[in-house]
Amino acid sequence: MAIRVNPKLIDELEVYGAEDVQNCYHCGNCSAVCPFSKEPYIFPRRPMRYLQMGLEDKLKGSLEPWLCYYCGQCSEECPRGAEPGETMMSLRRWLTSKYDFTGISRAFYKSGKVELFTVIGAALLTALGFVLWAVLRGGDINSYDGPNAFLPAASIHIFDWALAGVLLALLLTNCGRMWWFTLGRDKQLRTPFWLYLKKLYLLPLHFVTQKRFATCERKRPWAVHLALVVSYLIMLVLIMFFLDLMWSGPEIDWRVHVFGYIATVGLLGTTIFALRARLKKAEPLYAHSHETDWIFLILLIFAAFTGILQHILHRVGFDAAANVTYIVHLMGVVPMLGLEVPFSKWSHLAYRPLAMYFSAIRAEAKERAEKEAVEPTLAAQPVA
Amino acid sequence: MEEQRIGVYVCQCGTNIAKVVNCEEVVRALSEQPGVVVAKTYKYMCSNPGQEMIIADIQEHGLDRIVVAACSPRMHEPTFRKAIQTAGLNPYFVEMANIREQCSWVHDDPQVATDKARALTFGALHRVAKHEPLERMSVEMCPDVLVIGGGVCGMTAALELADGGNHVYLVEREGTLGGNVARVDLTAPYLDSARDLITALVTRVEEHKRIDVLVHSQVSSLEGFVGNFTATVETIWGDGASVSQFRVGNVVVATGYKEFDASRVVHYGYGKLPNVITSFEFEKMLRAGRIQTKEGKIPQYVAIIHCVGSRSKEFHTYCSRVCCMTALKYAHEVKSAIPNCYVSDVYIDMHAFGKGHEDFYKRGSEAKTLFLMYAKNDHPVIRKAGPGDDCEMLIEVNEKLSGEQIEIPADLVILMVGMEAREDSDAVARLVNISRDKDGWFIESHPKLDPVATTTDGIYIAGVCAAPKDIPDTVAQARAAAGRILAKTIRGSIEIDAVFAEIDEDKCSGCRVCNALCPYSAITYDASKKKSTVISAVCKACGACVAACPSGAIKARHFTDSQIFAQIEGVLT
Ligand SMILES: Cc1cc2nc3c(=O)[nH]c(=O)nc-3n(C[C@H](O)[C@H](O)[C@H](O)COP(=O)(O)OP(=O)(O)OC[C@H]3O[C@@H](n4cnc5c(N)ncnc54)[C@H](O)[C@@H]3O)c2cc1C
Ligand code: SF4
Ligand code: SF4
Ligand code: SF4
Ligand code: SF4
Repeated sequence: MAIRVNPKLIDELEVYGAEDVQNCYHCGNCSAVCPFSKEPYIFPRRPMRYLQMGLEDKLKGSLEPWLCYYCGQCSEECPRGAEPGETMMSLRRWLTSKYDFTGISRAFYKSGKVELFTVIGAALLTALGFVLWAVLRGGDINSYDGPNAFLPAASIHIFDWALAGVLLALLLTNCGRMWWFTLGRDKQLRTPFWLYLKKLYLLPLHFVTQKRFATCERKRPWAVHLALVVSYLIMLVLIMFFLDLMWSGPEIDWRVHVFGYIATVGLLGTTIFALRARLKKAEPLYAHSHETDWIFLILLIFAAFTGILQHILHRVGFDAAANVTYIVHLMGVVPMLGLEVPFSKWSHLAYRPLAMYFSAIRAEAKERAEKEAVEPTLAAQPVA
Repeated sequence: MEEQRIGVYVCQCGTNIAKVVNCEEVVRALSEQPGVVVAKTYKYMCSNPGQEMIIADIQEHGLDRIVVAACSPRMHEPTFRKAIQTAGLNPYFVEMANIREQCSWVHDDPQVATDKARALTFGALHRVAKHEPLERMSVEMCPDVLVIGGGVCGMTAALELADGGNHVYLVEREGTLGGNVARVDLTAPYLDSARDLITALVTRVEEHKRIDVLVHSQVSSLEGFVGNFTATVETIWGDGASVSQFRVGNVVVATGYKEFDASRVVHYGYGKLPNVITSFEFEKMLRAGRIQTKEGKIPQYVAIIHCVGSRSKEFHTYCSRVCCMTALKYAHEVKSAIPNCYVSDVYIDMHAFGKGHEDFYKRGSEAKTLFLMYAKNDHPVIRKAGPGDDCEMLIEVNEKLSGEQIEIPADLVILMVGMEAREDSDAVARLVNISRDKDGWFIESHPKLDPVATTTDGIYIAGVCAAPKDIPDTVAQARAAAGRILAKTIRGSIEIDAVFAEIDEDKCSGCRVCNALCPYSAITYDASKKKSTVISAVCKACGACVAACPSGAIKARHFTDSQIFAQIEGVLT
């Protein structure tokens, strides 16, 4: 069956940032220089071709965009100014919107304004909700911890877990859809369960180490990215599991203290670095910023800054100010976790390691199929 | 016959000859022959000292015949003819023996090579004794020129010649000048108007006092030879016809091409699917300023298919050279007329070789033309779309850059038809006595070094009639042909080689066997006398007629029977 070409897709991708893909004339230089392009995943030329031709289904089933780290080497070598690196970035945004069944992601990518207003709306709702709740239950604005605390740790903890539950459900469905597009619906491909188990170690490995990123010639973007991920993870663990320990007055456990500071410094440092780099367009990775990138970074730095500020205010005894800052902090954290993680930039934290995992499974399944196809014919040959 | 005084010179050609042939031994053998007064060997006979040695010997020893044993006569016969002429001898009193290409370069054994060199030189020695003095003729060169075909090529050549002072007869079969470019809208890659280009040329041609334009006309015969042709032209006026005759010295053939008939390619459905059109039909739309389907709708999808009739096993194997850029021009024109239209350009290879072409190709990409590649001889197939589709037709193709079998939506399909030799190119070739290649294009004298001349003196070819090319290349050739003619006519006369065939009227039986045999059409037949005659200026002395004449009436000057038998005898002594 012939696949229908859709010349309109290339226009659709423009809002995701793919502005130069039409210039590609398929010399293949980009795929030759890309440090990540290896059989059976040769890119970025091929995905560029699918995009030019509008082969939407092929693109939806591609894992290649996630295997690219935007080192920019391809764009440098491209004789036609087709910006293959940027195209891969745009494809990741587009794929994110395709994995997301709610359509929210698509709306965010299509319009930065929509995203901004949604984020602001969510922030205001958060503030309203927490203030109302605290006032109604008789919380004392002058008390940060203890029984009369304005926002008691235990309750916040429950809220955290509830939010995490919703998030996880959304993320898992999106990941499930990703699996369906890239592996599940491919009837030709035989992927036994044990193969999924065999490759499972890849998920945490790539998630924590980002080790593929380190393959790039320039190490700095990887180092920054790694620092960001590690800081984020530490903070996540602290908040999800040790939130009550962070409240317990002057005698905070020293380990919580040390890890908390490390994470805060990491988050603040990396976001400031990333913002500066994007402003200066220091690396190819930072040269073309989409509106969503800015919103994400600003939320992140906002959350990190207000987080440490409320801590300091509380430590120096300004509990009322600490409580207000805490509300402001939540105004940043809730939209960041509730909107950015499932629907925007943050979600690549899940998709990338998943892509690594799926691509390994796919590659091995294909290799096995090829071997099986060859072996019977070999057996049928008379022995010479 | 008085005793002849012959000089023999054996060239060593550096070591080219001497490393295999023992030149001393050849000299020794020759010097013992009767009639040989001087026999010498020298490093480079063709060099100035070599030639001067011959001249000095002629004067000192009173030599009257010269033998040079050296390289091929094709290379240096003119050199030695000139040298002995300087010394006062008739230039035809020299004979060469080829002991390089025929001995040292093809034999390893020095003894065998030396024996053969000696035999060949003996042959030359015996032959030169029989040489007769011959005189070259000088004929008048008529400065007027006939140009056949009034396209860009013919008009440009005519203007160049007329500006140079020559009178030109420009013969065009159609009612108007302009040729195929007159059917084009804008020209690739700079998007200048073809109309402006043609109008400027036509105006100048028509106003030029030294150009006679004959439209509705065809050349019915061309007699004579370089410098002295007589052309007969038939002109059709409404219901009447007139014939005119004039003398010209040279002819430029600029008859151009015709478009390939797209209905020969069945899988494109041309003639059956109403919205599959040819490039020339699309040019017509562009000139009318409205791009639309047969139903009058503005197309949402336009597809362009390259190499229709070109670069295929079935039709023509050659590339028509202009259609790639013309296709890009269409993509450009469609996008500027209908900005939200999607253009697919389906090609085999993008041939963007000329000045400005690669940039034009890039501009096509930037305007989001979707380029799709198919393999040679794996044609796309066009079919009608179904009722649920948002397009009129679907083009199925094996796309090479993605490796996918795809279908492309289209409301209008433009077939880039190639160029083809005109139906009457055979008749034109016979008329002016030139040859055609397997595709019907006229053949040049040398494809690289002599592109606009032909093997017939005085006949030049230029423009597409020699092979597909674009306007810049056509213009360059038109000017080249004109330049060649101007350089020849400026002297007022031309010299004709003294070597040609002659028919002895007394012996000729009028059987006309030779007439059809001559590859250069050099033999005419006088019906009243019942005799054949050779036009010496046209004869190339190939000898075909000499061998064929049943009455033995034809003699080739400088290749007489006695000369050839003497040479054979010499080789065998
Ligand atoms: C669709 C298309 C678009 C093109 N667009 C471009 C472009 O954008 N840019 C570009 O550079 N080139 C373009 N070309 C190429 C261009 O058409 C040729 O380069 C040009 O026409 C060559 O000129 P010509 O005089 O050799 O031949 P022609 O244009 O074919 O002229 C030959 C003339 O000779 C006359 N003739 C033929 N036989 C006889 C005879 N026996 N007796 C008397 N008269 C005779 C014909 O009637 C005609 O007038 C295009 C070609 C095609 C097919
Ligand atoms: S290097 Fe540029 S032009 Fe070449 S294939 Fe890659 S994107 Fe296309
Ligand atoms: S940006 Fe780097 S990793 Fe991404 S495709 Fe280009 S070369 Fe490969
Ligand atoms: S110029 Fe292009 S379209 Fe025309 S025959 Fe050559 S390759 Fe084909
Ligand atoms: S020698 Fe050849 S060219 Fe001359 S008239 Fe005879 S056949 Fe023609």
